[in-house]
Amino acid sequence: MLPAAGEPAAGDSWGMLACLCTVLWHLPAVPALNRTGDPGPGPSIQKTYDLTRYLEHQLRSLAGTYLNYLGPPFNEPDFNPPRLGAETLPRATVDLEVWRSLNDRLRLTQNYEAYSHLLCYLRGLNRQAATAELRRSLAHFCTSLQGLLGSIAGVMAALGYPLPQPLPGTEPTWTPGPAHSDFLQKMDDFWLLKELQTWLWRSAKDFNRLKKKMQPPAAAVTLHLEAHGF
Amino acid sequence: MMDISLCLKRPSRMGDSKRMRMTSNFQWLLLTVLLLYLMNQVNSQKRRTPRDLKCITNNLQVWDCSWRAPSGAGHGAAYEVCFENGSHSCYRLEKNVKIPALLPGDHEITINPLHDFGSFISKFTLNEKNVSFIPDVPEILDLSADFSTSTLHLKWNDKGSVFPHHSDVIWEIKVLRKKNMEIVKLVTHNTTLNGRDTIHHWSWTSDMPLECATHYVGIRCYIDDPQFSGRKEWSDWSPLKNISWSPDSQTKVFPQDRVLLVGSDITVCCVTQEEVLSAQIGSTYCPLIHLDGKNVAIKIRNISASESSGTNVVFSVEDNMFGTVIFAGYPPDIPQKLNCETYDLKEIICTWNPGRPTFLVGPRNTSYTLFESFSGKYVRFKRVELPTNESYQLFFQMLPNQEIYNFTLNARNPLGQSESTLLVNITEKVHPHIPTSIKVKDISSTAVTLSWHLPGSFAKIKLLCQIEINKTNSVHELRNVTMKGIENSSYLAAVDKLNPYTIYTFRIRCCTDPFWKWSKWSNEKQYLTTEAIPSKGPDTWREWSSDGKNLIIYWKPLPINEANGKILSYNVSCSSDEETQSLSEIPDPQHKAEIQLDKSDYIISVVAKNSVGSSPPSKIASMEIPNDDLKIEQAVGMGNGILLTWNYDPNVTCDYVIKWCNSSRSEPCLMDWKKVPSNSTETVIESDQFRPGVRYNFFVYGCRNQGYQLLRSIIGYVEELAPVVAPNFTVEDTSADSILVKWEEIPVEELRGFLRGYLFYFEKGERDTSKMRVLESGRSDIKVKNITDISQKTLRIADLQGKTSYHLVLRAYTDGGMGPEKSMFVVTKENSVALIIAILIPVAVAVIVGVVTSILCYRKREWETALLKHWK
Repeated sequence: MLPAAGEPAAGDSWGMLACLCTVLWHLPAVPALNRTGDPGPGPSIQKTYDLTRYLEHQLRSLAGTYLNYLGPPFNEPDFNPPRLGAETLPRATVDLEVWRSLNDRLRLTQNYEAYSHLLCYLRGLNRQAATAELRRSLAHFCTSLQGLLGSIAGVMAALGYPLPQPLPGTEPTWTPGPAHSDFLQKMDDFWLLKELQTWLWRSAKDFNRLKKKMQPPAAAVTLHLEAHGF
Repeated sequence: MMDISLCLKRPSRMGDSKRMRMTSNFQWLLLTVLLLYLMNQVNSQKRRTPRDLKCITNNLQVWDCSWRAPSGAGHGAAYEVCFENGSHSCYRLEKNVKIPALLPGDHEITINPLHDFGSFISKFTLNEKNVSFIPDVPEILDLSADFSTSTLHLKWNDKGSVFPHHSDVIWEIKVLRKKNMEIVKLVTHNTTLNGRDTIHHWSWTSDMPLECATHYVGIRCYIDDPQFSGRKEWSDWSPLKNISWSPDSQTKVFPQDRVLLVGSDITVCCVTQEEVLSAQIGSTYCPLIHLDGKNVAIKIRNISASESSGTNVVFSVEDNMFGTVIFAGYPPDIPQKLNCETYDLKEIICTWNPGRPTFLVGPRNTSYTLFESFSGKYVRFKRVELPTNESYQLFFQMLPNQEIYNFTLNARNPLGQSESTLLVNITEKVHPHIPTSIKVKDISSTAVTLSWHLPGSFAKIKLLCQIEINKTNSVHELRNVTMKGIENSSYLAAVDKLNPYTIYTFRIRCCTDPFWKWSKWSNEKQYLTTEAIPSKGPDTWREWSSDGKNLIIYWKPLPINEANGKILSYNVSCSSDEETQSLSEIPDPQHKAEIQLDKSDYIISVVAKNSVGSSPPSKIASMEIPNDDLKIEQAVGMGNGILLTWNYDPNVTCDYVIKWCNSSRSEPCLMDWKKVPSNSTETVIESDQFRPGVRYNFFVYGCRNQGYQLLRSIIGYVEELAPVVAPNFTVEDTSADSILVKWEEIPVEELRGFLRGYLFYFEKGERDTSKMRVLESGRSDIKVKNITDISQKTLRIADLQGKTSYHLVLRAYTDGGMGPEKSMFVVTKENSVALIIAILIPVAVAVIVGVVTSILCYRKREWETALLKHWK
């Protein structure tokens, strides 16, 4: 369901998150993690999982504020517009069998690529927002998402996976052309937030699965991945 | 109508009718038959002549005349039409004739059917009044549409060159909508024909986007020629031209991203091939208006102001939705409170209040342009986000040698524009920056130089600066300084009449002349002025030591305003006619010196020294003049001080000195002293050291030429309190009916006031039973004695009962209250006489009763004996 406009997170929560992001960002560079006998990727996976859950919470508040800014019917609970111009957004929904068949590397790579794209779109959203308060909220969320991206990169480095390199010229850009009407722009904004929410939900499942896998004996994970609305 | 006369082409047949008048009855019958025949003949002739001549004109130059052909005339019958128009003109033609416009007046026209022998010649009288003027059908040159503004543009030619003279023209234009041709606009448009072909334009903005439905336009005209006297009629409607939008395959909503005024109406339509299920504006559903095909529209009336991201209009089809965003707001308000001023005569800052919010943000927000008309220069202001409480301001670089500026602030947004103007002499609107870099430099101990920096090109104007001088525990003082402005420089001002060795806090603000606004106050600058020699000697007193051999000299530290610096040391000298003794460099914290002297007359001199120099000496005589007539008096103060008075003494020439000390201290006792002028007869002694309930000794000295004489000795309290202890008392003597009580004096420290008396309570009572009882004078069984003679130390209580326990209580009191009580239980001695009586009386009664009983018994026996003797 769509989140209702929520209260902004408390100041101490922001601080805690910023601290967490900083720690996770620098995680790959911590020499202690690369030493023989280090605790392995377990703690960094756990932290990434925690950060994902926290971002889910943070997005709930941001989406409420932003959808109220878009106005009715975008902020109505049962509003479900078609995905018109949002085709370039990375889709989080995937067939359950396909998802199960993914290996850890693919799983992490898809997460990394998705958030790289979403972050880029989100920054564009920030530039478009008309009110200063909204821009502040979006900028803060971008910083948090940047932290998550760094955290995923840290997990991939710890597992020995290379980071995906963006192909030249495929970097997503935010260029609303003159033909792009305000209404279509709003639809895109709506879908961006929706995809973000679905991705965070999926990532939480991904990291939970990875976390359990790294803790032998691995517990059986039952996961139902399906189209997940707001 | 035209007058028509008929002429027979052949000879008349009237001769036949004359032969018919035979008899009267027959005649009448015959006449009737004949009349009918004639009428038939006439009608027959009428039908066989051209008739119903009608003339119309399209251009007032040529009349187009036509008539009804004679009956029986075949198709293609020819006519000869002749008329007089200055000359006799005849035309051979078929059905109608175009003749040049005839002059006003009646003209005879004959129409002769050619080659038809059964027909007659018709004559008509033609006048301009009978001609109809029907202009040609106007031709639409172009019909175009501006879809973005929903505006139709119509273009046509008035063909004015055809008409000989100027005429007013009324054009009627109709706009039809949809395939069923609903008339949505019918409007008249007035122009004038001026002899030339002129292209006319007419534009119309549709309430419905032009994309929503096909729009058709037609036009007709009515020429009101003032010189034409015939009937003027509307032209026919032109063929309709239409405007339609060629939809691509995608469904679209119109208009897109439209900005409109709050309160206006708007029609939004959805051009689609699918069935539209619902439409909503925001969260409100609207009824659908069906247009051609599956297109629909909604009408929004009196739209309210949009939120910052606009108002959404959404059309829903089965599995999709389409929409648009409408931005309802206001045109910019007239900028209010436009004010332009300068801080530095280099740059002008103009501020204003935008007035009513426009509710349009982002790219639709109001942009401002500040234009200066004398120089032609302008600056622009564009705010992207919704302003909060920030002020609107623009900076305009000042131009050399220009003082008068004529500003126009133009506000513009998609809904309109407004402006505000301001003519300003900028040299009169200077609001200087805050002065910075405050520095202080000494001139002397009472004067300094203040310098500060004030950025700005003030070379041509005068500055007025205000210096605020603050001194601790003193009211602040403001001093104004006027100075000539300088280019970006520091300014100097001397500040005099200061006190030496005093901490001052300076701050500065400036304005220009003429006054506009003060600058903000600068930061405070604290400065300590340099020292000067002490202005007065210290306040001095002296006491002889208890053994009378040494003179102890006391002085008070100089107040800061007299010390003029930090006092480092004191010099004390005692000089008599014979000798001088000196004590030098007594360091500052010490304010007392002792010198061994004999009792001769000395003058003691005390000098205070700081780093700059010595104070004038303060002098005091050592001699004390005896006073035999001295009594010790009592005084009570007012809590914080005590009022002392004395009689005026003409012999006192210098001053009075009141010294005081705590009475419990040993001699020489000195707490403090106070000097009052010689003309005073009273003073209030106040000191922070005074405490209530403490006895002080006050001594009033009068200063004479030779020395000081003690005039009064006073003991007193600033405030009396109740005693803290009860007097100790003992029972000196006890008898069977009295008790003698004796008590001791209470020490002065515990008395805490002047003793005013004792209260003595007594009552019968045992120790155990009455110890908890409170003695109250109101109780009847308690006896109270108030002893006001404070010299009395004993009390005999008489009229007591012997061998009885009494409870005795004693307490002292002052004017400050009643002291605590001390109690004692005493038992009076036994009374021996009463005891004896108490024993003897019962014994005596028993003896008497026995004697009487014995006597009675004896008498009874004698009487019985005598009676028996009698009986016997």
